[in-house]
Amino acid sequence: MYGRRASQLLKELSTSEPGQLTSFNTDLFDQALKECNAHHLELQSLMRKIQEEELDVQTTRNAEHFGAVIHHLSLIRNKRCLMAYMYNRAVIIQSLRWKLGPVLPQEIQEKLNFSEEEYFKNYSAALESYASELELDLTVDMVPPKDPYIKVRVLDDIGDVLLSDQSPNLACHSIHFLKRTDAEQFISQGLMEELLG
Amino acid sequence: MASSSEGLGLGFGSEDVDPSIAMTTDVELLKRAWRNEKAAPEILQFQHELVQRSSEQVQLMEETVEDFEQNGADPLTVSVYQMDLDRMQFLLRSYLRIRLQKIVKYMIHISKSEAWSRLSEQEQKFSKRCMDDMEKHLNQSVLSRLPYGYQSILKQSISSEEDDMVPQPHLDTYVFCKSRTPLGALQIADGEDPMDVLADFLYLFHYKSIRSFVESGHVDLF
Repeated sequence: MYGRRASQLLKELSTSEPGQLTSFNTDLFDQALKECNAHHLELQSLMRKIQEEELDVQTTRNAEHFGAVIHHLSLIRNKRCLMAYMYNRAVIIQSLRWKLGPVLPQEIQEKLNFSEEEYFKNYSAALESYASELELDLTVDMVPPKDPYIKVRVLDDIGDVLLSDQSPNLACHSIHFLKRTDAEQFISQGLMEELLG
Repeated sequence: MASSSEGLGLGFGSEDVDPSIAMTTDVELLKRAWRNEKAAPEILQFQHELVQRSSEQVQLMEETVEDFEQNGADPLTVSVYQMDLDRMQFLLRSYLRIRLQKIVKYMIHISKSEAWSRLSEQEQKFSKRCMDDMEKHLNQSVLSRLPYGYQSILKQSISSEEDDMVPQPHLDTYVFCKSRTPLGALQIADGEDPMDVLADFLYLFHYKSIRSFVESGHVDLF
């Protein structure tokens, strides 16, 4: 059936966890692209047929014409699906830059295709150059501040660090009272958790 | 101290201050700009001077806090100043962030409409870069591998008469809004009776019907 593969791609996208990437489905993606080119060949041969019969392409309404329309519409539907797949993944990739910073963990990196990896780097660079022009890091302070200090538990051995107002030893499982802006970067990397209540 | 605390945007003593003056401090103005930007579906005019003044204030506040810490001021005072500083910085960052999100989402549409002039110089640069990156990404993974006539990023195929692949903001979404002055009878929706819009009442309208009032600053979004 025409267009099934491309729609499967989108189903995959819509059934995955929101904000999470699945591995790039190269196989299905390439098949859908191949289908596009097959449609185009069919389309061309039907158009040629119309021309060979010396009929006016604009006004003819015969079997060839309707066949060509179906191939054309299937092709643009596939294009929309492929673009939506790529674009929506790109949007997730953008959000990963905000959440995880300029370097992606290995297990996420593996889910990207080559072009997506490049896109992540480019987006990251664009964001960094914007932030440096403003001299303001936009990726901190993602939630409205309630208190300048928060209580955190360290989840990994981070060791001695120099923070803006103290230099604590962040040993695994220790609990600290840190400036929210200092703690945020560790929390986003999964090295700390905020203790609420 | 009392007079300077107002200048730093602290909420102290706001009861003794005339509310109309309190409403026009930079903190309030930034809050309003931030709320409007957050609620509006399209990108609004960049508040150049306000952002400029706010970042200067942030710098000033940072210096004040640092001074306090060095001079061993009362920790409670320091933490109150610090909290105020944090809030201001959050507002500023969040304002810029929301704009960036909208820019990335609608970059092609923005670059082709009058909305382009609403961006700051840095945002325009950022938008151009993002657009190039996205175009390159989509080109090399999809478009260049499609047959001739179907390779445009703007149109579905060569036979589309207009750009039918460009995401645009939905201007007919509903927004909560309050008017600062009575607007009189307003035609809110086609085919409905005009509605008398009063000051300080909360309304739920189509964004596009009050768009011009948001731009002129008569209506605030929530």
